[in-house]
Amino acid sequence: MTAQDGTGRRNFWQKLQAIDRRWIYLVVWLVVMLPLIFPFYIKPRPTPPTEKLFQFIDTMPRDKALAISIDYGPDTQAELQPMLVALLRHAFATHHRVGMLAMVITGLGLGEDALRQVTAEFNAHATTHDDSVINGEDYAFWGWSTPPVTVILGMGENIAKVFPVDYYGAKTESLPITKHLKNYGDIGILVSIAASAFPLSWINLAQTQFGVRLGCGITAVSAADFYPYLNSGQFSGMLGGMKGAAEYEQLVEERMAQNDQVWHLRMKGTEAMSSQSAAHLAIIAFIIIGNIAFFATRRRKS
Amino acid sequence: MQRRLPLILVLLTGIFGAITFFIPHHALQTADAAMRNDVQRIITAFGLVLGVGSLLQHHFLKIRRKMENWPYSYITIITLVVSAVIGVFGGLDPTKPGILPTHIAGFSFHIQTLFTNMLVPLGATMFSLLAFFMASAAYRAFRARNLEATLLLAAAFILMLGAVPLGRMIFHPLPSFAEWILAVPNMAAKRGINFGIQLGIFATALKIVLGIERGWLGGGGGK
Amino acid sequence: MILSCFVALLFSSLAPPGDVAARDVPNDGGGSIAVTWSPSPDTTVTGYYVLRQAKGDTTWDTLRFAGRLASEYSDGETKDRTDYRYKVAAVTPTESAESAASTFAASSPQWFDTETIPALVGTAVLIFMFAYFINRARRGRNLFIRRISGLDAVDEALGRATEMGRPTLYVPGISSIADVATIAALNILGEVAKKTAKFGTPLIVPTADPIVYTVAREMVKESYTTAGRPDAFNQDIVFFVTDQQFAYAAAVDGIMTREKPATNFLVGMFYAEALILAETGAATGAVQIAGTDAVTQLPFFITACDYTLIGEELYAASAYLSREPLLLGAIKGQDYSKAIIVGVIVVATLLALLAGVPVLKYL
Repeated sequence: MTAQDGTGRRNFWQKLQAIDRRWIYLVVWLVVMLPLIFPFYIKPRPTPPTEKLFQFIDTMPRDKALAISIDYGPDTQAELQPMLVALLRHAFATHHRVGMLAMVITGLGLGEDALRQVTAEFNAHATTHDDSVINGEDYAFWGWSTPPVTVILGMGENIAKVFPVDYYGAKTESLPITKHLKNYGDIGILVSIAASAFPLSWINLAQTQFGVRLGCGITAVSAADFYPYLNSGQFSGMLGGMKGAAEYEQLVEERMAQNDQVWHLRMKGTEAMSSQSAAHLAIIAFIIIGNIAFFATRRRKS
Repeated sequence: MQRRLPLILVLLTGIFGAITFFIPHHALQTADAAMRNDVQRIITAFGLVLGVGSLLQHHFLKIRRKMENWPYSYITIITLVVSAVIGVFGGLDPTKPGILPTHIAGFSFHIQTLFTNMLVPLGATMFSLLAFFMASAAYRAFRARNLEATLLLAAAFILMLGAVPLGRMIFHPLPSFAEWILAVPNMAAKRGINFGIQLGIFATALKIVLGIERGWLGGGGGK
Repeated sequence: MILSCFVALLFSSLAPPGDVAARDVPNDGGGSIAVTWSPSPDTTVTGYYVLRQAKGDTTWDTLRFAGRLASEYSDGETKDRTDYRYKVAAVTPTESAESAASTFAASSPQWFDTETIPALVGTAVLIFMFAYFINRARRGRNLFIRRISGLDAVDEALGRATEMGRPTLYVPGISSIADVATIAALNILGEVAKKTAKFGTPLIVPTADPIVYTVAREMVKESYTTAGRPDAFNQDIVFFVTDQQFAYAAAVDGIMTREKPATNFLVGMFYAEALILAETGAATGAVQIAGTDAVTQLPFFITACDYTLIGEELYAASAYLSREPLLLGAIKGQDYSKAIIVGVIVVATLLALLAGVPVLKYL
């Protein structure tokens, strides 16, 4: 039974064990909020799965495009949206074409937000046409279609057949980028950012039949399920959770610095790392304090 | 007869559901799909009527008896009615409006907008409570009372530190060890529990189909 | 398309795919023919077009584009007992090369899926185990089941609620009646309702599914009648709240903080809201008995609740509480079935390990 009845005066350790929950909530709130208001950056060292994906995209031939499939919705946006933004920045910084689609309809708005943000960042610093990021020339947002099997298989033949009009209503065939981005043959790697098992559908259909190289960005809780595919080489890299997003942001920042693109862009994944690290440390501290109080109380009783 | 008819129905549909796994012939599969998709949907739709009826009855009672926090019952009922009217008469596709207009001077109250801008953020707010509750639950319950609890604590520390950049700074192989804990002992335990669960599901389903377990008919236990 | 293929054929240096074969897809409900081929040795091939001709037709229909690594395709749009034959054309950006046509094949439905034979054998073994132990139970044999502390605590927890004059809250999970965990939860609800009726303890049962609501209401009503207290039952004990996950969690949390139940039962299928419910209940000082087969939520219940029924203990609960011989017999059958499965796994693992030992290859 839960300990609820007081037995007269309690000493410090007993009071500590029975501390009001609201103090704990207050501390958690502070350790999450304060690093966001007064940021301190814990730059995560990239782990091998993130490095793999980064190197693959970085060393991809210029005529090969990066394709991104938005396979998540608003509920996992906090963890996965920073990955999308970082991938777009990387592609535009290395002058790779980008093709984007959504398998989850609620992901469309998230894709548009990310594109708007990143294109504004690049166009704010652009001085020539080549520096600019232009819809239809440097990227195409194909939108959403269904069913997924038809989309994945159809993209192997002709993307414009699967998405006759893009998200903005323009005919896909008429876009200048379509000349260079017809099907999987023109895609260097397709990265599926998902909160579910969607990346496995890409392996089963796109990779098995068309040999397209794949990467994935998934939530931290499901990362363990995807490691076997990373180890077997079916994924050419993986971003796991907010930490994976933060690692990729770091790599992209360093890469852009090599291009003299030191723009001090907002990196939400890295920002969140300070809060996440602080929260984890706070919980560990709570557990240690709780155990000290527990053992101190036990010793007094004995 | 009152109890016998549902039992016979359950027996027949249970056997039918089982044999469609072994018999791929389209005649059987079509019938099975019709039962799963059509019949189940119809039953769910009727069930929804009963559910909403229960909700309204519950809140009307609270209002009538002026029970604690009864004004919130008004909010529940008004919200239910308003969103039902918007959903039914305002159309499901924002591009194809229904009988009721759902835009006024750029302000949208289409059912999709209500869902995305109200329900989803409210759900995310409730979801975020988990962060606080995890901290308080960990503080209260994670005590090194015995060997097993101590091992659990140690694993928790490794996993929490391994999930943040700090872990690698403290001890370089820590994140890899955290991954190993998830991929090996954790996976093994989950699979073991799953075996038991699947057998339990099989046993419970068999008991219901054969009429041994009759609690669902009303009343507990079996005969 | 056909003309260009014909012209390309005349001048093509591309090697066509070979060994095109078509056969009825086995173990299906009909309407499918499997087409297989050997890929073209040319590395410039970007993919394959699969073409089909029905017997008596003069034209070939293009079915689907398959990727360059593909070597099989399942045509799922055939009429049963109609003969079709197939060709596969390898394509590059500039040329294509067609294979020779396959022999005719026709699809037909099968009455038994031979790939399910292992499942059938396993099911038969399990049913035999259940039948054997249920028979033993019918004959009055005493069947031992180990203690489950969570279920032993039910009487004590309900007694506490009665003494404190506070209600008991029963949350049957947020899944539908199709989920076996929900059915198990409702079976336990029946037993709990009998006890609350006998003790005179108020019972609150908020539900998240309309059908679960109707079944739960009938079960509780019947339990009160069986306990000899039909007058104590009222329609408001069981009520429907909402089917939205977090809205339901918010509603139940509200009930916990307002009504301050002395005992909470969190039994059934839960998802992310599990910890929200359990921790709020713990904060109100209630005794909590939880049970779920959602493996991912078990750690939260174990941390925040006083007693937790793990996995199959949930399914054993109705037998444990009612002590009905037939139900106990089914539990024994379940346990022995698990023992058989464990035995098979151990033997198979040993065999797999020994298969790798080099010396044994010579035996």
